Amino acid sequence: MINMAMRSQVYEWTNLANGGNSSLRRSTSDVPVAVPTDREIDVFTGGYGNNITKPAETTATQFVVIEDIAATPVRDGAVQIRINTTDYFQNPDVTNQDGIPGLASPYPRGTASTVAGTDNLLKSFDLYPDVYVLPGQVYQILYTAGADDSGSTTVVACFVKYTLYDGPDALIANKLLELGVTINPNNVDWYKRSLIEQQQKAAQAAAAAAAGGQA
Amino acid sequence: MAMRSQIYEWDASRTDGGGSAIAGSGANQAGRRLSIFVGGFGNNITKPAETTATEFVVIEDIAVSPSAFMKANNGAEAAYRGLTQANGLAGGRSFVQVRINTTDYFLDPDNIPNDGIPGTASPYPRSIDFQPSFNLYPDVYVLPGQVWDVLATYYNAAGFAYDSGTILAGQLQCFVKYTLYDGPDALIANKLLEMGISINPGNVDWYKRSLLGAQ
Repeated sequence: MINMAMRSQVYEWTNLANGGNSSLRRSTSDVPVAVPTDREIDVFTGGYGNNITKPAETTATQFVVIEDIAATPVRDGAVQIRINTTDYFQNPDVTNQDGIPGLASPYPRGTASTVAGTDNLLKSFDLYPDVYVLPGQVYQILYTAGADDSGSTTVVACFVKYTLYDGPDALIANKLLELGVTINPNNVDWYKRSLIEQQQKAAQAAAAAAAGGQA
Repeated sequence: MAMRSQIYEWDASRTDGGGSAIAGSGANQAGRRLSIFVGGFGNNITKPAETTATEFVVIEDIAVSPSAFMKANNGAEAAYRGLTQANGLAGGRSFVQVRINTTDYFLDPDNIPNDGIPGTASPYPRSIDFQPSFNLYPDVYVLPGQVWDVLATYYNAAGFAYDSGTILAGQLQCFVKYTLYDGPDALIANKLLEMGISINPGNVDWYKRSLLGAQ
């Protein structure tokens, strides 16, 4: 297999775990675990639900573009992005907030606004422009929930869609960033095409010059 | 026809092609990755999916049966939007992964292969209740001579409906949409890949036009 240099990726977090508050692998015996109220939980390594082995970070040859985030709307769930130590979503007075409400960016789309609800929520929010995670940065997705008034443990979830640029495509992504051009697969391809066209023109010019010299 | 839009639909209850319906209330296969082509369950094909030396496949969409997030101890409650409730969920908590040769496409942020795309994010079939949050872009390329597979995994076997322990139709389904480039168009697809240009029917046609223009 060739190294796919641009890959669409997703991460789904739920508060389902096996044998404790968190587990690294999903299992058939996962059960809902209680999530604390009004506390930011890192969906990657926060200690609740399914987690991964280490904090999410980009290597020197990787570039991540976060294109969508969403959360279950129950329990007033909200989701925030943190790059290194900086929260992405802020209040107009530059104070911290919980991030995008699940009501505005519901996961799954079409879900009800409450566990007992029968409505179909659509998204009010589109993460545009995208969020860039530059090479060498650490990023977190933080989920915050309000009180659980279901009389039971509500299952909550969070969803992240991102594109991972690796190797040469990460270099091009950096170049596009310098140029002030939006980083997406189309523009990375456009940059490659423009490089190829430049090379072809240079080769043609060199050939023409050589032919002229001989004449 | 050198470019052909193709689909493959898999249903765990079907038996055509030599597979057997998932039985035993799904317990034995839960948590296992099942090839939707030759996994031995549901409708199967005669041999693993692979491209010949003159074929190029571009996978454009994958989807699997959706789930919904409910609350703990919901096993006795009525079906939710057509899905059986159990273990805090409605539905089977299903995922779908793409594998090229021996490499899984979807990774967690710690670069460890995961279960793939959740059916909650890419549901099949789509409906008002279950809408997609995920779009497979950029596409996945299967180069000439490669073997590819689509793997379905479910964790909540009690979230399916059964008849005498055998899974019912429509409970666990998977869908793949891909374009098959054959003959000269596969050669052009390879050329576009070398040039770093996205492979889609529009760009293949663009390359043909540019060849004609150069003549």
